[in-house]
Amino acid sequence: MADIRPKSAKAEMLLWSFGRVLFGAIGCLWLLFLVAPLVIVVAVSFTSANYLMFPPPGLSLQWYAEVMQLSWFRSSLISSFLIAAVSTAIAVVLGVLAARALSKRSFPGHMLMEYLVLSPLLLPGVVMGFALFNVLVLLHMEALGLPNLIVAHTMITLPFVVRSVWSTMAGSDASLEEAAHSLGATPLKAFRHVVLPTAMPGIVAGAILAFTFSFNDVTVSIFLASREAGTLPVELMADLEYSANAAPAAISSLMIVLMLLLFMAVVRLGGLKAFVNH
Amino acid sequence: MTAWALSSPAVLLVLVVAITPSLILLYQAFRTPDGAAFTLEHFERLFNSRIAGQAFWRTLRVSLITTLLTIAGGYPLAMLIARSRERAAALMLGIVVFPLMVSVVVRAFGWIVILGPSGIVNQILPGIGLITEPLALVQNEIGIIIGETQLLLPYMVLSLLAVLRNVDPHLEEASLSLGANPLRTFFAVTLPVSIPGLLSGVLLVFSLAITAFATPQILGGARSPMLTTLLYRNVFSTYDWAAAAAIAILLALLAIGFVTLQRLAGRLWEKSHG
Repeated sequence: MADIRPKSAKAEMLLWSFGRVLFGAIGCLWLLFLVAPLVIVVAVSFTSANYLMFPPPGLSLQWYAEVMQLSWFRSSLISSFLIAAVSTAIAVVLGVLAARALSKRSFPGHMLMEYLVLSPLLLPGVVMGFALFNVLVLLHMEALGLPNLIVAHTMITLPFVVRSVWSTMAGSDASLEEAAHSLGATPLKAFRHVVLPTAMPGIVAGAILAFTFSFNDVTVSIFLASREAGTLPVELMADLEYSANAAPAAISSLMIVLMLLLFMAVVRLGGLKAFVNH
Repeated sequence: MTAWALSSPAVLLVLVVAITPSLILLYQAFRTPDGAAFTLEHFERLFNSRIAGQAFWRTLRVSLITTLLTIAGGYPLAMLIARSRERAAALMLGIVVFPLMVSVVVRAFGWIVILGPSGIVNQILPGIGLITEPLALVQNEIGIIIGETQLLLPYMVLSLLAVLRNVDPHLEEASLSLGANPLRTFFAVTLPVSIPGLLSGVLLVFSLAITAFATPQILGGARSPMLTTLLYRNVFSTYDWAAAAAIAILLALLAIGFVTLQRLAGRLWEKSHG
């Protein structure tokens, strides 16, 4: 087919497609920037050298074997799992009930309740952490590491559960529940058999986000962690100041793998919508 | 009534564990050391302190540059994702979102490995003769800015993506076929449509940059304190809790101010375009 466009238009088309390639390349460079610190950490964790260097002189799993022997790694990993699991479980129960309340349309103080339940998101982590530490010192309770961390993490993860569950409840069909009521189901039965199943994807996604947030938190935890109950990110941060070897890289890689598994679970459940909507 | 009964455990938790401690801190920030009277001395001390002043301006400077960098990265990334086919878009979105789930400590450590005194950049650049002295890329503001940009870029991409998805690609094509060059098309068609997303992204990223803690703590070190790391130092190193409480009030006001602005901007936009 003969091209009837004038030469200048052809040049512009060329420029335009060149611009698009350039544009795509810039986007890909930014993608690289986003993953660079993660990829590099995993890459250097397999080094056979005794200190951090790049490129690694050889590959080995020695640092993974090494970190398994570190007592602070094992104890803080257990603390972090325990704190994240217990606080997520409590936050899910409280969060589902609160989301159920918020999904009821109009009642006095709807706005107030929303602000109250989501308020832990409003204040910066350092402020929240210091405020809690301050109160615990006043009450002479600052040495109780584990219970303090569990209560604090329940509070900071609650908004994630509420938002996630609330959005699935708001999208579900209210008439189903009404039908259950009119067919003679008690409110509790209707809740268990109608409301809960439809909200389940939101509950699971909210629970995973809450677990992740609790497991990763340093800002609040660093104020509350005692010597006996240090969480993994807090201990890792302290360790970064002293060690120049690849042990932090191995620990970081293990954390990245754990998060990758949770991330894939979230994607399976509701796609990436859980993140996009926030 | 039943709604409040249902949410009472959650509301009680928030009242006891979040609101009350914050109010106690607020109270203490305005009390004399012996607790006898109200005072503004902690705030006066803060405003007259050289190190707090430096931390304040550093916080604003770093947060502003970080926000500008996330805009520079946010547009190409969001437009790339918005224009790509479904599978490629999902993959790229995954790469953008996944870092949000990785601990900030791990991400900051990654930058130490890349930018540190014996890091990758400082091993490769002298090797190819570009530099002779190692570059100081961490333990200063450069390190904090790079770390926070990586930390917060996903939020900007998500904010922009939310509006760019609604841009009709035919509009851009029409503009191009009518003779507008790509740059002009961007400023005349794409940019105006994306303003609400840009605005909410800017407010979100800026407020998160101001309140970030672990990233400046690890990448900025003791020599470049920000407001958050100065607060931490006042609590655990210099034991000046009154000053720490004053910084906390300042940070809380900034954070609440930005969230309110974001909501307000969103509501105004909905009203004028709803």
